[in-house]
Amino acid sequence: MKRLFLTLMLSLAAMAAHAEVRVVATVPNMGMLVETVGGDAVRVTVLAPPDRDAHYLEARPSMMAALRRADLVVAVGAELEVGWLSAALQGAHNPSVQPGRQGYFEGAAHTDLIQVGGAADRAMGDVHPAGNPHYYFDALKMAEVAEALAVRLGELAPEHAERFEANAAEFAEQAREHVERWQARAEGAPGAVFYHKDADYLAALLSVEILGYIEPLPGIPPTARHLSELVGSLRGKEGVILYADFQPSRGPEFVSRELGWQQHQLPNQVDIGADSQAYFELINRWVEALSP
Amino acid sequence: MRSVWILALTVAFASGSVVAEEPTLEELMRKIEALEERDRERQERIERLETELRAADAVERQTAEERRDTDRPARPAAAGTGPQADPLDPVPARMRARSVTGEVTSGTAFNPAISVILDGTYAHFSDHIDDPAGFESGHGHGGHGHGGHGISEGFNLREAEITFTGSVDPYFDMMVMASVSESDIELEEAFITTRSLPAGLQVKAGKFLSDVGYINKHHIHDWYFVDQPWMRELMFGDEGLNEVGAQLSWLAPFDTYTRFGLEVLEGTSPGVASYIGDGRHEMVTVLPGDSNQPVRNRWRADKNLRDRDGPRLFTGFVKWAPDLGFDHAMQLGAFGGISQVWQNEEGHSSGRLETWDGDSQFIGADLVYKFGRGGLLGDGNFVLQAEYVYRELDVEYQSRQFTDFSNLALTGPSDDPDRRDQLWKQDAFYLQGVYGFAPRWNAGLRVDGVGLTNRAFDDGTDALGRRGMRDDLDASWRYSGQVTFAPTEFSRLRGQISYNDIAGGHEAWQFMLQYNMSLGVHGAHAF
Repeated sequence: MKRLFLTLMLSLAAMAAHAEVRVVATVPNMGMLVETVGGDAVRVTVLAPPDRDAHYLEARPSMMAALRRADLVVAVGAELEVGWLSAALQGAHNPSVQPGRQGYFEGAAHTDLIQVGGAADRAMGDVHPAGNPHYYFDALKMAEVAEALAVRLGELAPEHAERFEANAAEFAEQAREHVERWQARAEGAPGAVFYHKDADYLAALLSVEILGYIEPLPGIPPTARHLSELVGSLRGKEGVILYADFQPSRGPEFVSRELGWQQHQLPNQVDIGADSQAYFELINRWVEALSP
Repeated sequence: MRSVWILALTVAFASGSVVAEEPTLEELMRKIEALEERDRERQERIERLETELRAADAVERQTAEERRDTDRPARPAAAGTGPQADPLDPVPARMRARSVTGEVTSGTAFNPAISVILDGTYAHFSDHIDDPAGFESGHGHGGHGHGGHGISEGFNLREAEITFTGSVDPYFDMMVMASVSESDIELEEAFITTRSLPAGLQVKAGKFLSDVGYINKHHIHDWYFVDQPWMRELMFGDEGLNEVGAQLSWLAPFDTYTRFGLEVLEGTSPGVASYIGDGRHEMVTVLPGDSNQPVRNRWRADKNLRDRDGPRLFTGFVKWAPDLGFDHAMQLGAFGGISQVWQNEEGHSSGRLETWDGDSQFIGADLVYKFGRGGLLGDGNFVLQAEYVYRELDVEYQSRQFTDFSNLALTGPSDDPDRRDQLWKQDAFYLQGVYGFAPRWNAGLRVDGVGLTNRAFDDGTDALGRRGMRDDLDASWRYSGQVTFAPTEFSRLRGQISYNDIAGGHEAWQFMLQYNMSLGVHGAHAF
């Protein structure tokens, strides 16, 4: 009992001792953004590994333990984490990171989403009427989110506010430079087939035409009929097939074989703890794959 | 602008796509003027809309600042700067609350999140399914056929579960879940939880499924099998430990998930806290009168059961979950409870009344382990669940008989009347594993055992003159296998076969089919 009490007191003391902001990021890309903006004034825990589809995670006790001690949770938002984040937050017993409080930050609220609206009808698959949540494929939108995040972090740690804003501005500057280069690189790209609507933001950013999706409907695995229809509609055209590392390769490989197109399986998220350089490199790989 | 139109028209004519007689220059000029007029109108319209947007945005910003001065308003919407917004673009998520007519209103957006879950089964049994020895309905241990989640043969529409959830205000969340069956509506759960208590504390109050164990608080939708484990049904009740009361829980600020909880509950669950209270036992018969005419006779007497206002049931639990990385998750739990009252009665047409009045306690442990590497739609996921509960019912048993219209007297010989202390010691466990053997598909096996300990101590003398322990009943076993096809996370089709090896009853096979579908908001599942 005494030992338990001591442990408790020590952990409470430890909590008070460090002044850094404890941030929980839902996915590694958001973790990267927090690290980039916050630098060593934040301590980041990421809830989801990079090689998982963030749609299909499950609330786990370890998430709740992390959220219990967080000052700020940084989510992608737009219902990407709808299946698990609210349950994890409810189990976290931490009022300061609940939606609506200062400690809850959803990137989707700070940039304009695409594909907003549409019928909220699951006959159309796993739809997101609030907008496509995969904006992390658009470095400019990530820059907007970074700037909003800098403001929020500045409210939580006013002594570092200027540094946060400078970091966000630097990220935004780098993003603009990269995007300019990527746009030039992708000039005349033939168009692409994606597995899911996740890289749509990148296609829009680079003005690359999306020729189709391996999924017949969002969240529904490919069917033979859909794939043969897709192949039929694309025969004779030029393009590439891109999909994420957690998406199964059978469908893309079939389409690639049938059409003689190149196919690339690429990560969707940076590694946990990665910096902005790794993020730009990741997007760069997608850009290179899009622009043969 | 004019040069563009001239160019466009020239190209159109040159390409021959416009089939017309040779136009005069005058006609062309008229057309250009008309087009220019249209262009001007469009430009004006765009400017007007942009102004409206800016105005509305200002209002939004103002209200946002008033509402929460700590929070910076969202970045101003695209109006002149940033990405170009056309009037026909879909409205960004941030602005959807604003209606087309321009007023700033939340409309009906304050409605709670609603979901409806429909569950239906088809079942065929090879024989009557008996109650396991020591858990017969007659003894009030759970019991079948009370309408709960018990499955009967043929087609069953078990329930439509209608759930409303939402935040009451910054301080409380609320959930109301009604279970609608063909014949009635039952409030399955209805509770509030706090969302602003400091120091990791949370209070839940209302009618809720207790947090003891793992499967107790799960609804049909979250069971991996068509039916619930015997442990939940026979040790707690058809509806599990579902009580009116309050819970205080504390999530410790440790690196590993550690949660402690205490519950103060009314105490009505049949398995561990059944309560009747004092009242009159009544029996009505019709006997032949003097000239054989029917005469109504009414016997009435006090049951002499204790009256006790709630709360009568107190439980506690602790859950601990080490962080095992992204692929593995495990939670261990221990729990227990004390009920100040456990009562039961059984009236016989002979005029005899059996009553049990005492208290109960239970203790148990639970384990859940989950493995998942992020395979497509559950492919390769594995879930192992095991729980054990032991309970003691310490009761005074009485067997009484009407001796006249208003008196119940103990049966048995006068030197050893039928009033004894009884002590029931019983337990139950289940162990189940479910494996996702393909995307969308999973299969599982479950073993149920009840009455591994199944003893009834009775300090009376039995017919053979023995005193002390009266019964040492056998354990009953059930083995189940299921296969589930889940096209999406919202729909589930399941087949299950169970073999019942019941002590003191028939052996029987059960064959069951189930569909379980959910409509409405995307529910998030707690671990």
